[in-house]
Amino acid sequence: MSEIDNRETNVFIDVDELTDHAEAPEENAEDVQPAAEEENALQEGRAKAILEGLLFVTGDEGITAEQAAASLDITKEQTEALFDDLMKEYCDESRGMEIGNFGGIYRFLSKAFVHDYARKLFALDSAPKLSNAALETLAIIAYKGPVTRVEIEEIRGVGADMMLRKLLARDMIRESGRSEAPGRPILYEVTEEFMNSFKLLSLKELPELPKFGDNDESRDLFE
Amino acid sequence: MEEFKVTIDQFEGPLDLMLHLIKEKELDLFDLDVNVLTDQYIVYLNAMSELHLEVASEYMVELAALIEYKSKKLLPRDDSELNDEYEEDPKDRLVRRLLEYQQFKEISAVLNSMYLERQNLLTRPVAMEAEEWAKPSEEGHYDGNPYDLMKAMQKCLMRMQLAKPIETKYTHKEISMEERELEVRAKLDRLPETFRFESLLDDCRDVPMFIATFLAVLDLARLHTLVFTVDENDVIWFSRGTGII
Repeated sequence: MSEIDNRETNVFIDVDELTDHAEAPEENAEDVQPAAEEENALQEGRAKAILEGLLFVTGDEGITAEQAAASLDITKEQTEALFDDLMKEYCDESRGMEIGNFGGIYRFLSKAFVHDYARKLFALDSAPKLSNAALETLAIIAYKGPVTRVEIEEIRGVGADMMLRKLLARDMIRESGRSEAPGRPILYEVTEEFMNSFKLLSLKELPELPKFGDNDESRDLFE
Repeated sequence: MEEFKVTIDQFEGPLDLMLHLIKEKELDLFDLDVNVLTDQYIVYLNAMSELHLEVASEYMVELAALIEYKSKKLLPRDDSELNDEYEEDPKDRLVRRLLEYQQFKEISAVLNSMYLERQNLLTRPVAMEAEEWAKPSEEGHYDGNPYDLMKAMQKCLMRMQLAKPIETKYTHKEISMEERELEVRAKLDRLPETFRFESLLDDCRDVPMFIATFLAVLDLARLHTLVFTVDENDVIWFSRGTGII
């Protein structure tokens, strides 16, 4: 195991040197002296390259515009503009990676067309699925949140206790204070992890709920 | 009896079953015939119990409501009750709930396809060097709940999964929690004052051993030999407690 670990680390560093050679010293400098070097990052025209490198280093944890801005000592707006540029560049068909911004966290992702090949390479199982119960509960919390357990149960007609615990443990939802209703029940809302899992920048991007009003069109609903 | 081949597991609850029946019997949701629905619902639940399936209590609650509504309809109308607008008409309430549930059921399918799309985009864990450079958290005691611990645990398991070589051969060796606890205690001598949970896992070869380590650590925490904290990055930190080493 340890032998293999070493090998992986070596490969990792090789890749690092190949792709991010230019800013490797920059990063070390940043570690030691945060403020001094980076002030010129934007003028030097390196800021975008540094952001690219940071995206690589932060991996699946990702990085927010605030974190990146603080690290480069530039404004959040400047950072967002640079990330936008980068994202556009990576949209190009010739690239196998893309940058996702889900819930305000930027991440490097391999493009969807890479997945089939990665599956072959790693003999991956198909991705774990979410149960209908989990999806419905998440949908209710996403659209109606902050929402209490009782409100969720009223909509689904079944108990939600266990499902809420599972979703809490998977970091898909979190408690967000208490309702003013009698007994001050706990309110739930969705998390950044939910946004990440559903490719959402913000809750505004949720698809519109289907409307079943009392009109002629919707009468065809069950045909 | 063909239609009863569908089992109750296929439904997400009583409302889902009702929507299924409405669709199957071609009932009009906006002019709902509660009598037909109730009869079908009962037929269905009876078939369920004939098959010795445990009919969840939630189905019974909705059945009670349906029967209550039906029985009220059978009784001669009392005008005073008609004028009593205190409560929403149970039928309107049922239709409203069915419509609302239908909304979320449909949107769940959309969300599911979004979820599956996201699953096709792969990421890599944060650079190992970054984790090594990280300064230990000095926030003192963390009064987290068991779910924080579960989340952190899940993350560790995921990392282990990712670090696993593609082809492995290993012989299964069982280790009890007690044995592992002794090993962990032995490790404590050469570990710094505060250390990461991962530092205890360097000799873990498989998931059972991983679990044994986790249980051993929980036991040590119980004995106050170890104190754990979880920082905002879901990293579990340990330090020595007041208990016996």
